[in-house]
Amino acid sequence: MSSAIFQETKILVCVGSGGVGKTTVAASLAVLAAKEGKKVLVLTIDPAKRLAQTLGIEGTKDVTRVPGQDFKGELYASVIDHKKTFDDFVARAAKKSEAVEKIYKNKLYQQLSTSLSGSQEFTALEKLYSIYESQAFDLIILDTPPTKHALDFLQAPQKLSALFTEGVAKWFRDPAGKKTSFLGKMLHTGTKQVLKALEVLTGSNFIHELGDFFINIEQWQEQLLKRTTEVHRMLTAPSTRFCLVTSFDQAKLKEAEFFSHQIRLGGHNLTTVVLNRVFPYWLDLSAEAAAEKAHSELVNLYSQMRNYYNQKDQLYKKFEATMKKDARIFRIPDLVKDISDLSGLEEVSALIVEGEKKA
Amino acid sequence: MKQEIHFVTGKGGVGKSVIAAAMALKKSREGKKVLLVELGDISFFKDFFDLPSVGYQPTRIKDNLSVALWDGEAALKEYARHFIKVEAIVKLFFENAVMKALVNVAPGLSELAIVGKVTSGPRKHGPPLPFDCIVVDGFATGHFIALLEAPRGMAQAVQFGPMGEQSRSIDACLRNTDLCHYHVVTLPEELPVKEASELIHRLKAEFSVSAEILMNKIIQTKLTSADLKDAKAENSDLGKFAEYLDYQLTRQSEMLERTKQATEKVQHLPLLYETYAWTLTEKIAEALK
Repeated sequence: MSSAIFQETKILVCVGSGGVGKTTVAASLAVLAAKEGKKVLVLTIDPAKRLAQTLGIEGTKDVTRVPGQDFKGELYASVIDHKKTFDDFVARAAKKSEAVEKIYKNKLYQQLSTSLSGSQEFTALEKLYSIYESQAFDLIILDTPPTKHALDFLQAPQKLSALFTEGVAKWFRDPAGKKTSFLGKMLHTGTKQVLKALEVLTGSNFIHELGDFFINIEQWQEQLLKRTTEVHRMLTAPSTRFCLVTSFDQAKLKEAEFFSHQIRLGGHNLTTVVLNRVFPYWLDLSAEAAAEKAHSELVNLYSQMRNYYNQKDQLYKKFEATMKKDARIFRIPDLVKDISDLSGLEEVSALIVEGEKKA
Repeated sequence: MKQEIHFVTGKGGVGKSVIAAAMALKKSREGKKVLLVELGDISFFKDFFDLPSVGYQPTRIKDNLSVALWDGEAALKEYARHFIKVEAIVKLFFENAVMKALVNVAPGLSELAIVGKVTSGPRKHGPPLPFDCIVVDGFATGHFIALLEAPRGMAQAVQFGPMGEQSRSIDACLRNTDLCHYHVVTLPEELPVKEASELIHRLKAEFSVSAEILMNKIIQTKLTSADLKDAKAENSDLGKFAEYLDYQLTRQSEMLERTKQATEKVQHLPLLYETYAWTLTEKIAEALK
């Protein structure tokens, strides 16, 4: 029997703000899919040490068959190597090898390719696309980078490609518009003023570095635009589904409502919302324990926590009510213990099945 | 006027925003004029404190306490307005599609604009920022490091001109421990503690600053494993709770040991059973040293 989460799904993208347990949810969903007979790959960003060990991907960035599995299907895992993915893309996109060397040496590129401004999102999608294209798996589950907001992930490729569609390199190559027609000159008057303003703020040295950077990367333009289109098509395909992972307080829930709206506005299929680590596993709100004999401080702590989670439960119920019409919503309790082997992931995947049934 | 700057960071989900707010509240109650700054383009505090709006310009929310939301583009715009003076050019500059894309993607520019704004008081550069204390609810660990590294990266790439000069001045300010204070929030859990320790080491190695760790959500109890033994054996909700508590307490003391190896500066903050935002913030403010 197949879970509704995976129905007609080739790619499942797990989004959500940092610290909500996206990676664990992604890995557990992958285990679930493998149990159901799928050949599945989970692409992770920065897994915890024990989770990486469990998946057999500690110290390697290759696609690895997860060790010690005995599922109906097959489970593979991989960590995305940002620097390498970015460099590989540059090498493929640039036509001449000396140009590749030159861009590797540019200081602004060195910053861009490592940690800044949407580059991780870009590389995650680049990696996802190349595997998707290879059709080697029935299902790919993507864990997304730790952005402050789920939206950053979806906006990153557009942001990058906007830079190229506007032909910024042209500016730096020929800011005065010397070689262009009369009309070109007219257009460039505005450009000149803008560049002048930029120079007042930053100095000619910066303009020079920036110009060098853009002229060097100009040759990726064609490849990048092609990729952006392909990636966009992949992300809006009916077989690509989004799973929003969220947790905790009221502000986070409001944020989740906003995200789900935005994800849909972007033409994506948000089908699942997971409220992760909502309540600790020990808590059964429907049954209060009789506790006459127990240590009084224990009983005291217990009822404090119980009350606290009861209050929270009200918030979650409201959230569920507003979101329910658009997506499947379910909760996964907090297991507390760190996941240290495949059976830990299976435990979470069993909770997912249970949560799904209730939803 | 000497302005203090406090950066609060940590792994996502550890509670850094609430702690930043508590720190700001505490300072404001000491009589300082405080600005609580959040970064990015979506406000957390607006929803959290149920405020009508939070924007780039500070909004007063309590006595001596204001909140603002800063992003790279707005910071750059304000900066440009301050120095270019000619509104028409500023407008042309920011309405230009290329400039917009550039600000969004140009490596480090947005980060530089933000830290430039945060440190503008002590550096006496840019529009005035009349506060005694700035508390920044910083990005999560990885992005936070990128934010701090941007000025140095830019100073290396651009050696001359105003950009290089400003970058060096921002970088120097970030390293000045009389002005800037760093607080790393963590939970008594493996991953947040690992991230916090690594961040502490990097801040020491790359910026020569020693940051403080704020260990959040510590369960406060005198109960020991021995006390929980009987209850654990019971097959009830309470029994499961005792098991959970025992596990948590063991892990908690293990994590406290581990943080001590990273730094001597560790503060403990209690786990609070409070869902109302202001009460929660006040309680944490009281717990802060």
